[in-house]
Amino acid sequence: MTETSVRSSRPLDEAWVGGVCAGLAAQLGVPAVALRALFVVAGAFRLVGVALYLALWLTMPRWRPDANAPGLAAADRAGLRSTEQPRRLADAGLALALGLLGVGLLWLIQRQDWGLPSSTLIAGGLAALGLAAVWWVTDHFPARNRRLPMREWLGTLLRQWTHILIAGLGLVFVGAAVALVILQVAADEPTRIALVVALSVLAFVLAVAPAWLRVRRELAQARNDRLVADARADMAAHLHDSVLQTLALIQQAAEDPKQVSALARGQERELRSYLYGEQLDEASFGEALTEACADVEQRFGVEVDVVRVGDANVRLGAGQDALVAAAREAMVNAAKHAGVDRLDVYAEIAGGQVSVYVRDRGAGFDPAAIPTDRHGVRDSITERVQRAGGKVIIRSAPGEGTEIRLEMPL
Amino acid sequence: MSQMEETPRAGWRVVVVDDHAMFRAGVKHEIGGRVHIVGEGEDVPTAVAAVLAAVPDVVLLDVHLPGGGGVEVLKQVHAREPEVKFLALSVSDAAEDVIGVIRAGARGYVTKSISSNELVEAIGRVAEGDAVFSPRLAGFVLDAFSGVIDVASIDEDLDRLSTREREVLRLIARGYQYKEIARELFISIKTVETHVSSVLRKLQLSNRHQLTRWATDRKLV
Repeated sequence: MTETSVRSSRPLDEAWVGGVCAGLAAQLGVPAVALRALFVVAGAFRLVGVALYLALWLTMPRWRPDANAPGLAAADRAGLRSTEQPRRLADAGLALALGLLGVGLLWLIQRQDWGLPSSTLIAGGLAALGLAAVWWVTDHFPARNRRLPMREWLGTLLRQWTHILIAGLGLVFVGAAVALVILQVAADEPTRIALVVALSVLAFVLAVAPAWLRVRRELAQARNDRLVADARADMAAHLHDSVLQTLALIQQAAEDPKQVSALARGQERELRSYLYGEQLDEASFGEALTEACADVEQRFGVEVDVVRVGDANVRLGAGQDALVAAAREAMVNAAKHAGVDRLDVYAEIAGGQVSVYVRDRGAGFDPAAIPTDRHGVRDSITERVQRAGGKVIIRSAPGEGTEIRLEMPL
Repeated sequence: MSQMEETPRAGWRVVVVDDHAMFRAGVKHEIGGRVHIVGEGEDVPTAVAAVLAAVPDVVLLDVHLPGGGGVEVLKQVHAREPEVKFLALSVSDAAEDVIGVIRAGARGYVTKSISSNELVEAIGRVAEGDAVFSPRLAGFVLDAFSGVIDVASIDEDLDRLSTREREVLRLIARGYQYKEIARELFISIKTVETHVSSVLRKLQLSNRHQLTRWATDRKLV
């Protein structure tokens, strides 16, 4: 697996606290549990782990899923799909074990006098807890919908009262921590007031920092989304043309059912792959094979079902053209001679080789007795693939249909 | 020419759920003579109400549906009537939708371009408790279970397909019918059905990271 972004992000659906460990684990390729244990151990020693965790929380953005294909995005927007993320609940037993480990270590370290003075520890703990609560709410607060009028937005705000309560509690904790620190310091009145102001400002800045960062990131995202929307509008216009053109052709050919269904099928395939399909590179094997299938479908009026397994987005080099051309020839043969209206094509990229199966349930023939006038099989399929280093296996019998299997090493 | 033979097992009680009235009318027209259409739904609430009122043998369920999608219907119905069987029907070939609706509890998936004979056959299979895998679904499942297994993989047995199950799935993906698979592998049709049901179970129960974050992984791999 390769990570697309160098920057790590926090996947909130896997988070126990802020998702820092889950995000780091995904990037570093280590189990999240190990990182969590590490932070707990480091946190027990003079709150080092806690401070580090909070710093990372501040710098790592939330994980956001990649943009969906337009059809899926449209269905999402219309509420036709279930948008609920699969939730992986934190393993209660594991969380308890890590918590106990942390408390035990903390007790041991404090008892041995290796740790912070207990008043500093309490202030630090309160501040960390408070900040974590406020930041958690910031992460989980639903993004503001700009289209909502102010009054309805207020209603949404009221419905989030648990979030607001948690944030309020967090602020109280931070305040308590500030008060504790002030009480500790022995100084004259002016210094004390200056300290109160400085600490309050610092606490405030820390508490709202993630909210500010989130707004900034969302603005950048909105700019990005607009660019994407423009690109999609161009695509939609193009699509519109192609669909309209097909509809016109269908009207012209209304008398010929075979041509109408071929036109409809071709258009359906194109639209479907645009709306729901994965985008393949233009010169990739998967794209070339799909094009060949669409072409046969169009020209011979048969339905070609293509199923791909493995990463079809590869380029095979010299063998690719031979393999695709041979597969196409196999499809053409089946469309011409088998007497069926549907072919199954299956392509598998696995184990260091590419296999393509072209199958029909039609007339079939005796492979040992290919008539001399049918050079198609020998020349355009078998020899073509063999020249490129591949292998062809033909299975057929009269009345049993035909399956042609093409293999090519990667 | 029909791809699968007709199995004249009339009388399955079916509810059709789709937000396009035209499609519902089409299905009724095509298969209404061979199954009993006992209810219809056009969004999540009407679908749930229709299914709970009729308690049919099979629900034909559109994947994309106003009110949260077919997955939501599955959840709400199965909370009250866990025995109702669902066959998902969709134009969306997006892997995440297909896998999502199967993991939510549907016993099969076919595309809307399916012929009416095949649809009736699929309804019968689901009604009798078997699973229906289209070649495309078989391909998706093979993809979902391939690749590197997570280190913290929870259940070895659930997270891996057996060699036999993989063979059966590959044949389905290649366009073989159950009886052709049985002949190819020298096993009985019943055994093929058992393998497919077992794959369905793994698909629904496995906690593999690959399956939950499947679509994302697919883009990354």
